[in-house]
Amino acid sequence: MSRQTARGGDPRKVNGELFTLTYGALVAQLMKDYENDEEVNKQLEKMGYNIGVRIIEDFLARANSTRCNDFRDVAEQISKVAFKMYLGVTPVVSNWSPAADEFSLLLENNPLTDFVELPEGHDALIYSNILCGVLKGALEMIQMDVDVKFVQDQLKGDNITEIRLKFIKRLEDAVPVGED
Amino acid sequence: MAVCVAVIAKENYPLFIKTTPTDNELQFYYTVHTSLDVVEEKISSVGKNVNDLRELYLGLLYPTEDYKVYGYVTNTKVKFVVVVESSNTALRDNEIRTMFKKLHGAYVDMLCNPFYTPGDNIVSRQFENVVLGMMQQD
Amino acid sequence: MADEVLFEFLHMELVALIHRDAVKDEKDGCIAKLESIGFRVGQSLIERFTKDCSRFKDELDTMKFICKDFWNSVYKKQIDNLRTNHQGVYVLQDNKFRFLTQMSNGKQYMEAAPKYLAFPCGLIRGALSSLGINCIVTAEVSAMPACKFQIQIQRM
Repeated sequence: MSRQTARGGDPRKVNGELFTLTYGALVAQLMKDYENDEEVNKQLEKMGYNIGVRIIEDFLARANSTRCNDFRDVAEQISKVAFKMYLGVTPVVSNWSPAADEFSLLLENNPLTDFVELPEGHDALIYSNILCGVLKGALEMIQMDVDVKFVQDQLKGDNITEIRLKFIKRLEDAVPVGED
Repeated sequence: MAVCVAVIAKENYPLFIKTTPTDNELQFYYTVHTSLDVVEEKISSVGKNVNDLRELYLGLLYPTEDYKVYGYVTNTKVKFVVVVESSNTALRDNEIRTMFKKLHGAYVDMLCNPFYTPGDNIVSRQFENVVLGMMQQD
Repeated sequence: MADEVLFEFLHMELVALIHRDAVKDEKDGCIAKLESIGFRVGQSLIERFTKDCSRFKDELDTMKFICKDFWNSVYKKQIDNLRTNHQGVYVLQDNKFRFLTQMSNGKQYMEAAPKYLAFPCGLIRGALSSLGINCIVTAEVSAMPACKFQIQIQRM
């Protein structure tokens, strides 16, 4: 048994365990600080939103993506480029609504939930809710108002983890103050 | 396979102990408890022997008439103790080693659960399943 | 593997969250909280990183592991300089500490640095504590993005 020499790898990546464990410690801390699961969910979404509105700049700069023409393009960019780039996984885009304004991201392997076993009595907790906030915040910055929520979660015994995105409306470019 | 699997904290109190259903559960507790002295002895002899590879697997701690007791210690000084029946000759050193590796892996994953407080009793279902797998007759 | 930008944002949100509800004189409490979160993460990380290692020989052996393997796994580089007074004080110097490279040099940023170093200090303390070394870890920045971590061993 020799000492492992840690591999260098891509300098833009951090150790996946560090990321997963830090997120876990954050959720655990929130659960200590807030009385109920709903409040924790809200905080997670808020934090995600803050990350989303900032990370979109990084994404646009790095992804070299072409302009999205419709919601289908957006779905592809999220799953094949954004998730891949930031979390190293590629969710499957599926369950389109007939009007093509709603779709699901199916995650077979959610890196945030490695090692997690939910404590009893926290059925309302949406452990990975930060992802909804990130998506919502990022899409808002490119003028899309989108409703994002978890509909299935492997942590709660579902077969797959499913995030549902529903397009609500296009946002106008920054509305001047007082002219609402 | 194993008839008793125990995880002992750095401070030498049990975090987890599972035995096959028996009237003699207490005896296993006693066996595990006794084995800790041998573990301590093995750990503290580090460095005195140049050939010591300082492996995590400590090997056979001691045999009794009916059982063989094996030990393993992590770098964080958590001890694993596995008891097998002496009559079970199919279990060689290599199999025991593999068993401990698996147990160690399960322990690490369990510890990484953000809702577990290090030092608390282990109540993880996933961990328990791995242990049950080690205790199944095959 | 996660992306470093995402991790940085997550850490910034964590720092902001802990400070959000706190009033001014609770600053120390915030630092302590962030440190304890880091501590818990450090405990888990070290258990993973040492899973396939042989047992450590002594304190120095352990410290070298932190400077090389642990640092490499977490920050993708090694500690640039390790010094000890052989009386239980170790100083680890990282000339380009990852958590600080995004911050600009300047007085106002220097003042913000402790908030961002509490979590990394906790990581080290958690890792060492699991390895049986109880200590106090403090960080000091003299010029961005270089950082010195001082580890003071608490003997029983």
